[in-house]
Amino acid sequence: SPVRRSEKPNWDYHAEIQAFSYRLHENFSLDLLKTAFVNSCYIESEEARRRELGIDKETVALNLQDNSRLAEQGLSFSRSYLRQCFEGAYPDLPAKGVGALVDFLTSQELVSYVAQNLSVQDLTLCREFPVPADVLQRTFFAVIGALLDSSGPEKTGIFVRDFFIPQLIGKDLFEIWEVVNPMGLLEEELTKRNMSSPEPRITRQLGVSTVLPLYFVGLYCDKKIIAEGPGETLLAAEEEAARVALRKLYGYTENRRPWDYSKPKQGLAAEKAVSSN
Amino acid sequence: RPRRQFVEEAAVDFARQHPDVVLYVSPRAGPAPLLLAEYLNGTVREELIASKTSEEIKQLATKLAGQSGLDIIRIRKPFHTDNPSVQGQWHPLTNKPSALTIQGPRLQPQ
Repeated sequence: SPVRRSEKPNWDYHAEIQAFSYRLHENFSLDLLKTAFVNSCYIESEEARRRELGIDKETVALNLQDNSRLAEQGLSFSRSYLRQCFEGAYPDLPAKGVGALVDFLTSQELVSYVAQNLSVQDLTLCREFPVPADVLQRTFFAVIGALLDSSGPEKTGIFVRDFFIPQLIGKDLFEIWEVVNPMGLLEEELTKRNMSSPEPRITRQLGVSTVLPLYFVGLYCDKKIIAEGPGETLLAAEEEAARVALRKLYGYTENRRPWDYSKPKQGLAAEKAVSSN
Repeated sequence: RPRRQFVEEAAVDFARQHPDVVLYVSPRAGPAPLLLAEYLNGTVREELIASKTSEEIKQLATKLAGQSGLDIIRIRKPFHTDNPSVQGQWHPLTNKPSALTIQGPRLQPQ
C-alpha cells in the first residue's frame, strides 16, 4: 500500500522545502511557501485528530493558514498571463480558441502531471494519500501565488511560461479546442476578412470503389486554393479541409515558428493582469 | 574507513555545492552501505559504496545529483525534433498532377 514520503525514514520538511526553492532557481519566502502546501482538508483532519486525542485547543494551537487565497491568486494570475501570451503570439485566434488553450493548460490532468514530476505531492499536506488531482492542482497554483507574493509578477510570469507552454509541444489546435462545425466557423472567419465563401472541389481521389477510399478536397476562394484536406469519405475530407484552412488562418500550423522564450514579457502587461483581477 | 571519511569531510562540501539536493546521513544496521538517490519523478536508485574511496563516493554522488530520474535505457536515436517537416510531409500523392489541373481533349477540369 502506498505510504507518504513524509512517513518514510529520512525526511526533514524544512530542508526539503528549501531544496524545492533552490531546485526551481527561485527565491521563495519560506513562510509563504509552507502556507502554500497546507490544504484545508489537512487542517480539518489535524483538528479532528487532536480532538480525538483529547488535547485541549488552547494548549497546542494549530495556527496554520490554508492555501485557498494563494491558490486563487495563482490561478487567476496564470490564466490571465497565459491568455496574454496567446493573444500576443496568435493574434488571429478568436477569444474562444484562446480560452480553450488556457483551459487545457490549467486543466486538472496537465497541472497534476506537472506537479507530480516536480515532487509537489511529497511536500503537500493533505488528508488522503495518494494526493488527488484537484488537490495537486490547487497546491501548484498556491505555489505560483506564493511566488507572486515573494518575487513579483515578472519572475512568476517567466515561471508560468517555462512550465506550462512546453506542454503544448506536439499538440494540434483542434485536439485541444473542440470545434463541432469547422465549415461554419471558416465561413464566419472568411466573411470577417472580406473573402468570398469557399467552394469545395475534389482534387485527388484514390480507390473510390474499394473499401478504403481516399479523397482530397480542396477549398477555393475566388478560384484560388486556400487549403486541401484528406478524408475517407467526401464529407470527412471536406471537414478536414475546413480544419486545415482554419489552422492556416489562425497561424497554428505544424510548421509555425516555435515559441519565443528569449525575452521576458513586459512588466507593465503583467501588472495590468494582476490589477485587473 | 572511506565512508566515514566521506561523511566527515566531503559530505558538507557536497551539500553546499548542490543546494537543491537534500543529503541525509543515517546509520544503518544492515547488510551493505548504500547511496540511495530518489528523483523527482519517483525513481529510486541504489548504489553500493562498500569498497569505494571517499573521492569515488563524492564523484558518484555528483553524478547521481546531475541525473534526471528517467530510466536508463538505450537511446534509440541521438536526435529529436518537434518540427519534422517544414514544407509538409511527403505522401504518395504529393507532386502527382491533381484532377483539376489536367487539361486535355478527354479530361476536363471539374
